[in-house]
Amino acid sequence: MKKQRLLPLVAAGLMIFASVDSVARDVKVIANASVKVDTISAAELKRVFLEERISLGDGTHVEPVLEKDGPVHEAFLQEYLGISEDDLHMYYRALVFTGRGFTPKVLGSDAEVVAYVARTRGAIGYVSSAASAEGVKTITIGVASGASERKLITRVEPDYPETLKRLNIGGTVRLRVSISANGNVENVQLLGGNPILGESAAAAVKQWVYTACRSRTIAEVSILFDGQR
Amino acid sequence: MHRRSFGLVLACLCVGQVTLQAQDFNLFDRNVQIHGFASQGFVYTNTNNWLTMNTSQGSAAFTDFGFNVSTSVTDKLRVGAQAYDHNIGNLGEWHPILDWAYADYRFKPWLSFRGGKVMTVIGLYNDTQDFEFLNAFALLPQSVYPIDMHDANIAHEGGDLYGDIPLVRRSGTLSYTVYGGERRDSYYGGYPYALRETVAPVNLTSNGGPQYGADLRWYTPLRGLLAGISRVNQHDEGKGTFVPFWDPAAGKIPYWEHTKQYWLHQYYGQYSKGSLHLDSEYRRTYINAVDFNGTSTGQADVRGWYVSGSYRVAKRLQLGSYYSHYTITTHYGGILGMAFPPRVGTSLPENHIYDKVVSARIDLNRFWNVKLEGHFMDGYGDGPYPDGFYPGDNPAGFKPNTNALVVRTGLNF
Repeated sequence: MKKQRLLPLVAAGLMIFASVDSVARDVKVIANASVKVDTISAAELKRVFLEERISLGDGTHVEPVLEKDGPVHEAFLQEYLGISEDDLHMYYRALVFTGRGFTPKVLGSDAEVVAYVARTRGAIGYVSSAASAEGVKTITIGVASGASERKLITRVEPDYPETLKRLNIGGTVRLRVSISANGNVENVQLLGGNPILGESAAAAVKQWVYTACRSRTIAEVSILFDGQR
Repeated sequence: MHRRSFGLVLACLCVGQVTLQAQDFNLFDRNVQIHGFASQGFVYTNTNNWLTMNTSQGSAAFTDFGFNVSTSVTDKLRVGAQAYDHNIGNLGEWHPILDWAYADYRFKPWLSFRGGKVMTVIGLYNDTQDFEFLNAFALLPQSVYPIDMHDANIAHEGGDLYGDIPLVRRSGTLSYTVYGGERRDSYYGGYPYALRETVAPVNLTSNGGPQYGADLRWYTPLRGLLAGISRVNQHDEGKGTFVPFWDPAAGKIPYWEHTKQYWLHQYYGQYSKGSLHLDSEYRRTYINAVDFNGTSTGQADVRGWYVSGSYRVAKRLQLGSYYSHYTITTHYGGILGMAFPPRVGTSLPENHIYDKVVSARIDLNRFWNVKLEGHFMDGYGDGPYPDGFYPGDNPAGFKPNTNALVVRTGLNF
C-alpha cells in the first residue's frame, strides 16, 4: 500500500527533477543585430565572456551580458565557461581592480536580457531557449572550431519507428549535442525536425562516443530518416 | 588611532554595502563603473614586532582601502584610475597614492597597449597583491610579496605591450607583457623606513628610476595549469639627507645612493581544479649599490619561494596553507664594509625567515570575507632589504622565532 502511494510521488519527483534539469540546460545565446556572425565557436564565446576578446574575428565589437543567478545562468556557466559563479565573480573583480576589464551588465530576467541586448550595440547574452528572441538574433554555438575536430569513435544508429516508416514519415532531425571533455555525450537538444524521430535520434546520439579533448564542445548533428527507403 | 581606523573602515563597509547596487552609470552614452574595496586587520605576535606594527601588544594598525573609476572611451580604448590608501604600522601612514591610472588600447588580441601609471606584472600576484579578497590568505607569502615593499614594486609610470598568442597543435596559449617606464618609491614605504631606522639614519626623500621588464606565461593544454617567468631590470637613485656616522660633527648633509645592478626574476606555476588551488613561486632579487655618497658599496642577494594550497571545503569556507622560505646574504664595501662583516650564513636566524602558515577564509557573502591565519616563523632576516622585521621596532633585540595570529576582514564592491 505504502509502495503504491509512494510511486506517484517518486514519479512526480522524477518529472520535476527532469524538468529542472531540462530548464537548466536549455540556454540559447542571443546577440544584438550589429553582431554580423550567426555562428561562433564555444571557445570564442568563452573568450568574449572572459573579456579576452572585445571583438569577433570579423571585427564586430562585442560586449558580454550576464543574467542574474538562476538555472539559466548556472547552465550557461557550466556549459560554456566551465567555471563556478564564485570563480567568475573573482575573475571579474581581478580585471576591474587592475583596470584590465569591467564588470558586465547583470540583468534580472530573460526579458531584461533580451531588451538590453536588442538596444545595445555588440551585446551578447543568453536566455532560456523558451524565451522570446524578438529584436535580437540567436547565435549558433560550437561546431566551428571545437566539435568538428573531434572524431566520432562509436556511432549508434537510431531506431526508425515502424509506424512512421510505414506511413513514409521521415525527414531530417537536427540536434544540438554537448560532448564532455572525455568524449561522452552529455546532453542532446532537439533543434528541428519531427519530435518523435527527434526522440529516437536523441536516444541513439546519447550513446555516441567522441575522441577526448581538453574541454567540453558543442556540435550540431543532422540525422536523416529517409521514409522512401 | 585604532578607533579612528575601525571607524573609517566601518564607514567604508557601510558605504560599500549601500553602493553595491549603484556602481555604474551612463555618462555621454558610455558606461562608467565605480568599484571599491577596504580591509581591516589585526595582528598579534608572541615575540618580535612585525611589519612595523606593535604586534607584540596586538595591533589593529592594518587598514587599506581604494576605489576606482573606469569607462570605455571607444570600443577599443578604455581609461580608468584607482586611488589607494593604507596604514600598516609605520607604512603608508594614510598618504593616498594613485595605484594606477592609464589608457588601454586593444589593437588585436595578440597586441594591445596600455600607458600611464600601470600596475607591474610580476609573477602570479604582484599586480593584485592589494586585493586580499582575491586570495585565500590574509597575507601573501612575504618571501615573494613583502608587504613593506608594496610601494616599490606595485606600478611603473610608462607603457606595456601585451597580448595572447595561441600556440599551434592545441599547445595552449602564451600570454606576454613587455613594459618600460619609471619606478617611484613612496617615502612611506619599507625601504625608506628601514633607512630611517638604522644605526646611521638616512632620511630618503626620493627614490626610484627607470625600469623595464617582461612577463611570459603559458596557459598549458592541461586545463587549470599555468607556468610563467618574469624579469625586471631597474636603476634606482635615492636622495635625501643624513648625518655621516664617520663625522657626526659635519651635521646633516645631502645624501645620495644609486644602484649599479638591480634585477629581479621570478618563476611560477599554478594549478587549479574545482575547489583546489595550488601555487608555487620563486623570486630572486639582486641589488648591487653605491651607498652613503659613494663611500660604501652594498650587495644584497634575496631569494624567496613558497608553495601554497587552498581548498574550498564549503561554499562559504576555504582552508589554506603555505610554506614561505626567505633568505638574504649581504656584502658591504668601503666604510660600511669596515663596520659590517659579510652575512652569508643563511642558516642563521638574522638571514632567513621560514614561515609556516595555516589559514581559514570565511565568505560572509560574495562581497565580505573574514580570514583567520596563523604564522609560525623561524628567523627574522633583518637585512637591508625590507622583510617585515626592523631593528627600530624591536629595540631590545630579536627573538629567533615568532608566532603570529592575523585576523583580517575585507569588503569589495
